[in-house]
Amino acid sequence: MPDPIFLVLSAVVVVSAIAALEARELIYGAVGLAFSLIGVAGIFLLLGEEYLAMFQIAVYVGAVVVLIMFTIMLVRRDSGRPAEEEEPGRLGRAGAFVAGLIALAIAAAMYLVIPYSAEMPILSEISLHDLGRTLASGYALALVILGLLIGATAVGALTLAKIEPEEERGGAA
Amino acid sequence: MEPLSSYLVLSSVLMGIGIYGLVSKRNAIRLLFSVELIVNAANINFAAFARFSNPPIMSGVLIVFYSIAAAAMEAAVGLALILVAFRLNGTIDVRRLNRLKG
Amino acid sequence: MNGLIAIPTLQELLNYIVGILTSRTFLEMIIFPGFLNIMLGAAFLVWLERKLIARVQLRIGPLYAGMWGILQPVADGVKLLFKEMIFPELADKKVLILGALALMMLAVAPVVPIPFGEGFVIADMNIGLLYVFAVISLFPTVILLIGWGSNSKYSLLGGLRSMFQQVAYEVPMWLSVLGIVMLTGTLNLTEIVKAQQKVWFIVPEVLGFAVFFTAILAELERIPFDLPEAETELVMGWMTELSGVAFMVGFLAMYTKVYVMSALMTALFLGGWSGPSVIPQPVWFLAKTFLVASVMVIIRGTFPRVRVDILLKAAWGRLLLLALANVFVTAGLIWLGLGGIWKV
Repeated sequence: MPDPIFLVLSAVVVVSAIAALEARELIYGAVGLAFSLIGVAGIFLLLGEEYLAMFQIAVYVGAVVVLIMFTIMLVRRDSGRPAEEEEPGRLGRAGAFVAGLIALAIAAAMYLVIPYSAEMPILSEISLHDLGRTLASGYALALVILGLLIGATAVGALTLAKIEPEEERGGAA
Repeated sequence: MEPLSSYLVLSSVLMGIGIYGLVSKRNAIRLLFSVELIVNAANINFAAFARFSNPPIMSGVLIVFYSIAAAAMEAAVGLALILVAFRLNGTIDVRRLNRLKG
Repeated sequence: MNGLIAIPTLQELLNYIVGILTSRTFLEMIIFPGFLNIMLGAAFLVWLERKLIARVQLRIGPLYAGMWGILQPVADGVKLLFKEMIFPELADKKVLILGALALMMLAVAPVVPIPFGEGFVIADMNIGLLYVFAVISLFPTVILLIGWGSNSKYSLLGGLRSMFQQVAYEVPMWLSVLGIVMLTGTLNLTEIVKAQQKVWFIVPEVLGFAVFFTAILAELERIPFDLPEAETELVMGWMTELSGVAFMVGFLAMYTKVYVMSALMTALFLGGWSGPSVIPQPVWFLAKTFLVASVMVIIRGTFPRVRVDILLKAAWGRLLLLALANVFVTAGLIWLGLGGIWKV
């Protein structure tokens, strides 16, 4: 019998994801995305990776969703909505068809190829100490590169979004 | 306990939704939503495989950390780009943002 | 495919539910240190704040509702319950009401791993500290939603200011407890409290405590960081358009946050439930918590408001550097071999 918690969580993830894309207001879409990401964090918890789940909530829902909402509030035309979403045209229907095919193919492959009795092995904890030690010793270079990447993207994003003084003067004149 | 295939099915369904969004939406911010969904689907995949191996693969979990951090950064830059595009063109409809100049 | 869902019988379902309702975790969740504790604590804090502020300002404070005005929060609550919920016409009612509810849920959530006594913890999480910070990082989202959904200039500005402030002060908050994690090597709050039985963490981590306290004051939007609420400028900030029950929930959520954060500070820096065992442990914990909350209240009555540019510069510049300095001081302590005092 499928685990009811897993069913509930995956329902939250999938339904919120669809709501995020199909909601009429962008802000509702952002809220849907937030719920979907919290659902994914729940999935990580089911997989026994609590540290990952908390990281996902803190970074994704706590920071990325805030960024997205803030940007949505900034890109509003005077009338209200920046771009009208019409009925999905030819491209939309084709996209849905292709996406559905891909998902169906992968799902079918899962059921046919992987033996159903691939149960989860006894949860041998990936302890926090091991994680930290591996990060600090084996993957230290990756960590440093990640730090530099974060710094570079922060500077880049700030530079991009900065309002140039010439623009302001031009607008006022 | 839930077999591996359930997690993979969830991941592929989420990926399907993300691809649908990426292909058929006109609003640049909805495209960003779709990209985030795709990245999350891949993360679930990584995490599931890392956990179901015996012994659990550490690098699978670490890749997910990395991916979350990198995706957050990419969202920041993407949103800055959307802001700039909106300021210069007054719209974030990607069908109209198709000129490279100015 | 053998994935048929087995529908449980009614008997099994009832047994399952009764099992949950009588389990210790559920009782802890509802009574102590859970729901009842937080509600009483928050209501008590409302009264405490008004009385203490009044004394600081040479007034008397609530006097008529019950002895010493102790029933004042109850009176406020009853009044707000009976008020009509008036929202602006173009405001999004769903978002506002659900946002207020979400705020209350998020305010209560961090209490789960906090130990109020040995064994008095709802869930002894191995990542308790990280869980608390993850929940705290969810606040700006809800506040932004409420501020935007109110469809009013005051609320939107208040919401944006509040989001900036809270996101900015999260970083020094995270970094200032790094010293504690270094000393104990665990994120489990029960272990952290147990490690402080000889010497409280406020002693080696004075800098960390100062930074954490300041960051918490900013997260809670208390004076001197109450710019989002600037009563003389923004009416009530992002809570302007809430009214009636929604306002009561939002208002109570603010004080619940104060209570829970004070409890967190007690567990992290002030030794949790340590103290001579003449008095039971939870009483010590509560006493220290209310001590921290009283300090917050007295600070409210003492300091002027921080300017907005100083606010953000302080968070990203000074507090961040101070927190990092605290990490170095702790590293120095460990290098000198003094880390053994707190080894669990």
